[in-house]
Amino acid sequence: MWRLIAFLFIFSNAVLAQNKPLLFNVDDLPQTLMSNPGAQINFTGHIGIPFFSQIHVSAGSTGADLYDVFADDGTNINTRIREAMRNMDSRDYFNVNQQWEVLSLGWKLDSRNYLSTGIYQELDVFAYFPKDPAILANEGNNNYLDEPFYFDDVSFAGEILTVYHLGINHKFDKRLTVGARAKLYSGIFNAESTGNTGRFTTYTTPNGRNVYRHEVVDLDVLINTSGFAPLKEEEEMTVEQATAELLSRSFFGGNVGFGLDLGLSYILDEQFILSGSVQDLGVVFQRQDVENYRYFGAYETSGLEPLFPDLNENDEAIPYWDIFEDEVDRNLRDQTTNESYTTWRPVKANFAMEYGFGPAFLPCHYLSAKKVRYMNLLGMQLGGVKRPKGFVYTFTAYWDRKINENQRFKIAYSLDDYSLTNIGLMYTRTFNKFNVYLAANNLLAFPNLAKAHSASIQLGMQLIFNK
Amino acid sequence: MKFVSFYHIKFTVLIVISYLMLGCVKDVDLDQREDISLSPDLQIDLLIYDIDQSQFEDVATGNLKTRISDTVRLEFLDDDYIQKDLSSVDFYFRHINTFPRAIDSRIRFLSEANTEQFTVNYVIKPGASGNPITTERSELIDETRINLVRRSIKMVVELEVQPGTAAFEGDLNFASKGFFSFEF
Repeated sequence: MWRLIAFLFIFSNAVLAQNKPLLFNVDDLPQTLMSNPGAQINFTGHIGIPFFSQIHVSAGSTGADLYDVFADDGTNINTRIREAMRNMDSRDYFNVNQQWEVLSLGWKLDSRNYLSTGIYQELDVFAYFPKDPAILANEGNNNYLDEPFYFDDVSFAGEILTVYHLGINHKFDKRLTVGARAKLYSGIFNAESTGNTGRFTTYTTPNGRNVYRHEVVDLDVLINTSGFAPLKEEEEMTVEQATAELLSRSFFGGNVGFGLDLGLSYILDEQFILSGSVQDLGVVFQRQDVENYRYFGAYETSGLEPLFPDLNENDEAIPYWDIFEDEVDRNLRDQTTNESYTTWRPVKANFAMEYGFGPAFLPCHYLSAKKVRYMNLLGMQLGGVKRPKGFVYTFTAYWDRKINENQRFKIAYSLDDYSLTNIGLMYTRTFNKFNVYLAANNLLAFPNLAKAHSASIQLGMQLIFNK
Repeated sequence: MKFVSFYHIKFTVLIVISYLMLGCVKDVDLDQREDISLSPDLQIDLLIYDIDQSQFEDVATGNLKTRISDTVRLEFLDDDYIQKDLSSVDFYFRHINTFPRAIDSRIRFLSEANTEQFTVNYVIKPGASGNPITTERSELIDETRINLVRRSIKMVVELEVQPGTAAFEGDLNFASKGFFSFEF
């Protein structure tokens, strides 16, 4: 048993994540299988209402919020932007994640196995604040002489894809449930630029040839895109046409990839349950409509140098500028290529420990397979998502309360990079077999989202069967 | 005993859902986006030279050539960001002279058709071997005159040695830069 705990802790420290903590370990919602295929579940079948079984949107910024930039306080917006940029650093990030479940269904194969499958579309954008290039563009080099501007700060990844999945949840014994989900990704659009290097510095040179020396060193910036080139070429393409073009790639028309979710839950003793999962251990092979833009090289200059040649009136002046441009082009190069590349999906992982209390004495129904053991669950959950510069962690503590057979809520407090006051709430209700759920994070920010660093919401409806 | 009463929860859920629906954005004015601008101030080196008496020698006769000049095209002055977004330029010119004579410096900015847009003239003070003398000059082209820079494409540097009896030997170093302010 302790080996299992040790394993889960090591595992959770190695790869941690979660972007929908309120739906994790909710054993009467099929969506819990999407974040942990080995979750304890309490239903025998489900059919999602197509396009409405899960709509998820989350957005966050660890640096500035809307109020920091657009505050209606009489001050100058450009001063506020400058201030906000100075207050952020290159590890601050912006993140938007959206998932839209197109199809979702599942059924119990036998007393131990539950099969679930479906299709969802996902958009994920994660960008670190490119502080140095942003400051250079907004303020210039005048206030930053002798200080390097690092191009390493440019780091982002964004993708739109459709995911086809098939998962199995297997009750190994009374204590252990394991699960796995195979995923087929159909990439619609991808853009990424990570691992860049380079710096630009304007040195003051009191003993040099000119007042300054401008130097670009070790520049190597690579932007990979797939699915972008055809949109770029169609100059007269309208937004509607571009959207239609993107949607047409949803069904195996784009770049293909494979992935796996793994998960388990273990009833440690009567009241303690441990669970953990890894999602999106997968790659997408970007092979179609690929364009790579690379900027690389090194160069330094202190200005153009006239040579005062002995010219006659009709002689042409030396083309100093052309010579300079040729030299720059030779040393600071840009290339556009069409080389395939592979992207790793942002791996997410979760580890949770739950304590149940208040034994359930719900009315028995001889046709119902639902087995509720405790009315209350207190839990802790650690999650993380792998991003270009490391893992982004979330720690959540929650109280999960079953009100009765058909109603349940979960209230959670999360600590993450966005906020120290993130209170979330999930509520689900089932009318006969028709289930609806709504979950939202960072509730304290809802009265004025302009001052929120993050917000997320999940909602959906589906038919859930229990016999 | 129920831990939380059913009706209380029902009421709370209703409140929370209403709360989410009423989530709003306050105390901000998104129309301010029209006022967003980038205003970088860039320090950019322009021309440099480092010449000695050989540069003032007439190749044909070997005599002193008292006037020399050269023209450098500054093609970036024709770029969009200069034509549309440049608001001011503060030019800085510096000569360090060890020639024992004063030299007239004339820096001219010309258009494509060689029409003079503006000129910066000053006298480079004489120096001596082992005693370099620095002459500096700034020229601010503010918003009211910025079209002069926008119309320019060539920078002509001219030097004219003033008459004197001392042997014309030494070095002349030139440094120049522009402090370009933009409003995008």
